[in-house]
Order: sequence, then structure tokens, then C-alpha cells
Amino acid sequence: MTQWSGYFGLILQGALVTIELTLMGSVLALIMAFLAGLGRLSRFFAIRALATAYIEFFRGTSIFVQLFWAYFVLPFVGISLTPLQAGVLALGLNVGAYGAEVVRGAIQSIGREQYEACIAVNLGRWQAMRHVILPQALLVMLPTFGNNAIELLKATAVVSLISLTDLTFQAQVVRSQTGNTLVPFTTILVIYFTLALIISWGVRSLERRMARGLDGVRV
Amino acid sequence: MSAPIIKINAISKSFGTFKVLDGLSMQVMPREKLALIGPSGSGKTTILRILMTLERIDSGHIQIDGEQLYHMERNGQLLPADERHLARMRQKIGMVFQLFNLFPHKSVIDNVTLAPILTKGMPRAAAEKRAMELLDMVGMADKAKAMPAQLSGGQKQRVAIARALALQPRIMLFDEVTSALDPELVEEVLNVLWRLCSETDMTMLLVTHEMGFAHDFADRVLFFDRGKIVEEGKPDEIFRNPKQERTQAFLKKIIAAGHRV
Repeated sequence: MTQWSGYFGLILQGALVTIELTLMGSVLALIMAFLAGLGRLSRFFAIRALATAYIEFFRGTSIFVQLFWAYFVLPFVGISLTPLQAGVLALGLNVGAYGAEVVRGAIQSIGREQYEACIAVNLGRWQAMRHVILPQALLVMLPTFGNNAIELLKATAVVSLISLTDLTFQAQVVRSQTGNTLVPFTTILVIYFTLALIISWGVRSLERRMARGLDGVRV
Repeated sequence: MSAPIIKINAISKSFGTFKVLDGLSMQVMPREKLALIGPSGSGKTTILRILMTLERIDSGHIQIDGEQLYHMERNGQLLPADERHLARMRQKIGMVFQLFNLFPHKSVIDNVTLAPILTKGMPRAAAEKRAMELLDMVGMADKAKAMPAQLSGGQKQRVAIARALALQPRIMLFDEVTSALDPELVEEVLNVLWRLCSETDMTMLLVTHEMGFAHDFADRVLFFDRGKIVEEGKPDEIFRNPKQERTQAFLKKIIAAGHRV
């Protein structure tokens, strides 16, 4: 009889690594999404070009290759990253590129009349963005950001390939040690699914909170 | 006699191949109440939008309060205005829109206080005190905490007026401010305009299809057609005794559509 409790401990440790990666990756992705998304809308050609190049490059190449690059190639130019650093970097930059288009699209979805109202009350460009456009655009971004965060969670599985002990890695360890495939892989399937549920629930409640008052319902 | 507060000199503006304004010149005196009337596409709204710097002009000059709006004088040369110059000029001008353009994510009072706090560095408490006075004047003080989506069109427009007034502009532009309202809500907004007209010394430019109101409100009425001023004069002259054929035809159409003159 296999001592499952010890193996579950391993898998839980993996879950913590996966959660850590997802959180840190999401933070980096969010920062990159806003930088590149706002960059795409810049008045300056150089900034627009830089943002576009970043977005196209990271959307247009595989996350596997990006991760291998960060972990195996960067050392050749003198940058050695731990597996966790490489994982966060690759995941954050990759998902951030998708997020940047969400940011840009959401900002552009805010009607011209809001920009005109800002000019009429003499707000500067940044004041208008910060106090009028972004707060409204954020609500448009949220559902897609939720999708992106779930994509990021699932993509964390690739870091097992650079020996980071995440959920998927630990499941493989358990499988090789016990010879049992069904139990470890079903377990991590359920854990991934639960984590994704938590993300989508969190995003939805955030959305509800932000939308309060916008629909004309008295609260 | 004092100098004009607005001096428009031969401005032209095209959207694509459509020439909205064609070498238009006009002057407005301080405290003057002006009604701009005319068929749609005649350029009257475009003038307000140009004064608010929402549209640029293709050629010509505009002076507000003795200063160039779209140009800066540097070492005796006229240069195109930069953003800083425009921001300084905008302090003199306020605008109320046909579709209110309130900030939907901000409460009524925050709509009114946002710009004074951000652009004039007003302390929040002072901005709120002033906002409550303005909301009281437009009859919206009891809705200060409400969100725009909870208000009727007429209420939204009154808040929008308070928002524009909060910056204490010398010139107020009203762009068809009652056109989007249900008929029973028009009067509450016109009453506010009426109060502003009689209680403040702001210069007011009103683009409107409410001919009856334009008649009572305005010191001078300008009739626009195809980017030019076809006829101008005292309300009685324009509405009772228009001289130009195009003015007569326009007013006839308006009356046929059921508007009181």
C-alpha cells in the first residue's frame, strides 16, 4: 500500500510554488500590460514602436522557447536566473503582451465624449487618463484580465521543464516513485481547476464592486 | 465701450471636403448673451467646439480676452499654441454638452469637484463647499451623493452645468443642451440657464433649437447657414421680421415643426 499522505504533501508543496508563480507572474504581467498598452497609445513614435515590438515578439513566439531562452540562453550573456526568476520573467512578459492589447482596447473603447469633457474642464492628458479614462477602462479590462490570469496559471506548468518544483513537476515525481499515474495527475487536475475557479470568482466579485452605481441601481 | 471678449477673424474649418466654416468673422462683447441658430450642419456647433479647443481651425485667428487662442506670441512672432498655452486659455471658457458627458464613475459632487481640485489645486473641503452651493443653485443639492446613472436627463444636464460653473469661466458655451431631453425635462434646464443669464455676468453663447427661449434669453441672435452668418440682430428683428430669405425659410420650418417662437 502506497503512503499517499507523504506524496500529497509533495503535491501541496508544488501547489504553493504554482500559486507563487501565478501571483508573481500576474503582477509582472499587469505592469507590462499597462506599460505596453499605454505605450501603444503614446504620442511619441519611438515609444509606440517599442511597445508594438514587445507585444508582437512575445505574442508571436512560444512560451516554451521564451522560458528556455530566459533560463538557458541568458547565462551566455552573463545573466543567470534561478528557475523561479526565469519562470516569472517568461510568464509575466508573455501574458503581459496579451494584456497590453486588452489595456489598449479598453482605453480606446471609452467614448470620445469623455475625452472632450476632460478638455472642457481643462484636465491635462495624464489627469484625464488617471481620473476619468482609466477608472472606466479598468472595468472593461477586468473580465479579460481574469481570462489572462487563468491562462497564466495553466502556463505555469511549463516551468516544470526547467526543474522548478511546481504542481506538474511534483506530480511527475510522485508518478515515477509510485508508478501510479491516475492519482497524481487527477489530483493536480482538480487543484488547477480549483485555483482557476478562485481566480474567476475573485475577478467577478471585483467586477461587481467596481460596477456599483454605474448601472443606475441605487446602492 | 469695452473691447470684445471674443474676436473671431476669418476662420475656416473643413471636415474632409466639407467646408463647415468659411472665412467666418464675429465678435462677442463681455456679458453678452448670444443665441446661435440655424439648420444642422450650418457650423454653429463647430464654433463652440473650436472655442473650447475640441476642434482646430484650418486658418484664421481667434482672440479671447485680448489673447490669441490658437497662437502664441513669442518675440513678436505668432507660433502655433502649445498644450500649456491652450490649458491657460481654457480656464476662461466652460462648455455644456448636448449629451451631458458626465463622468459616470463619479458621484454628482465628485463630478463637480474633480476639476477644481486637480486643475486649481483647491483643497477638497473648499471645493465641496463651493460644489454644494452650485448644486443648490441648479436644484441638485439633494442628489450630491447620487451617481449619474441614477439621474434623469434634465438632472444630469443641471449637474453638467454646475460642473462647468465650478471652474468659474468667463465665457460659457451651451451646445444644444436641451436637445437630448424629454420635452417635460426641458424647462428645468432652461430655468437654470435663465438664472445664470440674469444673476451672473458671464458671456454666454447658446446653440439651440428652442426659439422661444432664444428670443427671451439672447441680446443678439445669429442665424447661420452653410458656415456663414446670414443674418444677425436683436431677437425681435430676427424672429419677427427676418430680412433674409434663408432665415425666413428656416424659421417657417421650425414653426411648422411645432416650436414656439
